[in-house]
Amino acid sequence: MEEKKYEVVIKIFVLQLAAIIMILPFVWLVSTALKNPSEVFTENLTLLPETFRWANFVEIMDQAPFWLYMGNTIIVCVGILIIQLFLVIPAAYAFARLDFPGKDVMFLLFVIQIMLPLESIIIPNYLITKKLGLLNTRTGLILPFVASGFGTFMLRQTFKQIPQSLEDAALMDGAGHLRFIWHVLIPLSRPTIVTFSMISIATHWNDYFWPLIITDTDEVRTLTIGLGMFVQQESGSDWSLLMAATLFVCAPIIAFFLATQKTFIKNFLTSGIKG
Amino acid sequence: MREKLEQFRAYLFLIPGLFFLMLFTYLPILWSSWLSFNRWNLLSPKPKFAGWENFIELWHHDVFWLIMKNTFFFVSISIFPTMFLALVFAIMIDERLKGRVYYIYSFFYPTLIPMAAAAMLWVYIYSPNLGILNILLAKLGLPKLGWLGSSATSLWALIIMTFWKNLGFFMLIYLAGLQNVNRELYEAAYIDGAGWWRRHISITFPLVGPTSLFVLVTAIILTFRVFDQIHLMTEGGPGNSSNVIVYYIFENGFKFFDWGRATSLTTILVCILLTLTLIIFGIFGKRITYTAD
Repeated sequence: MEEKKYEVVIKIFVLQLAAIIMILPFVWLVSTALKNPSEVFTENLTLLPETFRWANFVEIMDQAPFWLYMGNTIIVCVGILIIQLFLVIPAAYAFARLDFPGKDVMFLLFVIQIMLPLESIIIPNYLITKKLGLLNTRTGLILPFVASGFGTFMLRQTFKQIPQSLEDAALMDGAGHLRFIWHVLIPLSRPTIVTFSMISIATHWNDYFWPLIITDTDEVRTLTIGLGMFVQQESGSDWSLLMAATLFVCAPIIAFFLATQKTFIKNFLTSGIKG
Repeated sequence: MREKLEQFRAYLFLIPGLFFLMLFTYLPILWSSWLSFNRWNLLSPKPKFAGWENFIELWHHDVFWLIMKNTFFFVSISIFPTMFLALVFAIMIDERLKGRVYYIYSFFYPTLIPMAAAAMLWVYIYSPNLGILNILLAKLGLPKLGWLGSSATSLWALIIMTFWKNLGFFMLIYLAGLQNVNRELYEAAYIDGAGWWRRHISITFPLVGPTSLFVLVTAIILTFRVFDQIHLMTEGGPGNSSNVIVYYIFENGFKFFDWGRATSLTTILVCILLTLTLIIFGIFGKRITYTAD
């Protein structure tokens, strides 16, 4: 199907314009992060810094333990993901392929959770975490997120599409359910599992509200909270340092997605999320 | 016997997930519903049953109504225009375009940036004297705006940055949904002489119905729980002009230490979210099971 020439031209123009508007804030972020502080205090708009001042990054490290924050963030994100997968895969398998009384009600409990994010029930969750003695711990940052209704729903859809005959054959050959899950179901559902994992990592890399509430010391703080603290400490006086810190917080996650873009986009477009 | 074994196995698989689901979702909701009928604040440091008092107080409190108005304004303005543009861009990108990945990423990257980082970036963009927006306005000979600092514009400023943040995510979901649309349908319309808009309004828009439902649900969740950018950019101000329900819950709990009121607000929010779930799944439920299986 050929499109009319003028339609293509208009389309590219609109897309290009929109893309530039979307990217501009990020260009501005990178350029300010590399500017000399004095250069920021003018009303001249310059996209490129006069001199690239990498020392901004050294300076933010002196003022706040950003590497420690990053370590905590990685531990929390990976911790959440691993436990999530251990909970979600068996649950999704049960919902997709087994029959048992109360199935519909239990499935509903998982699905409704999607509509009730932690942020909306933050007060009672804080009280419970306090009762469990998990305030200001990494465990406290991880556990409330491990039961994922979204992941269960997504994987159930995928598991359902795998033909029953494969399972019958595996069971006939004497494989147990666990071996079937491990050797057949998981490899065949890889695109969905990868997509879910990437969404999970991006989501929890970004968590702000929960760590804000339950962390008190640098030892457990994550990057986003570290950034928030840094801002208060700087009180908005030095934009180039603030932007350097901001860039440090988003660079890893953007780099991760750019490095895996082929897998991510292909998987996302062909798997799971289809309404 | 085999059947019993299978049931036993199913419960075994479900128990770990259900345990955490109960502990951090349903138990908290039940507990906070109970607490919302208690007085519990600095003057009454132990929860004491008080019936509907917290709710009646909220009902007569002007700030509460302002916050509800702000919340619904923020949610509806953030959802529908974003969804519409996300679909339009997804359609454009879907049409076997050169440099597809470049476009996808230039729309999608804001979703990946932590909201806290995005908020800092936009505080700078909105800054009254050094911010790029006011400098550009001045260059064009237009009056500078107060953005975050003025009660007339603060909520709009938050809406604009949230639009920038969510657009690419919705677009990506639409792009995934469009993979299922049969291209032959367009050929027919094309032969019949339908232009670009006409083709998509009559073919694509109806076909992405189920995807739109998914986007709508995602958008409702993302916008009702908005907190990070408000905490970092406006703290609900000036004068509560950009305060919304989750931020108000936070203020009542962790600034005013009025846990009774904070839990009543939580109960109200949970009721709103459950009602929306019921409405959405009630109206579209059949369609979901149809496409899901």
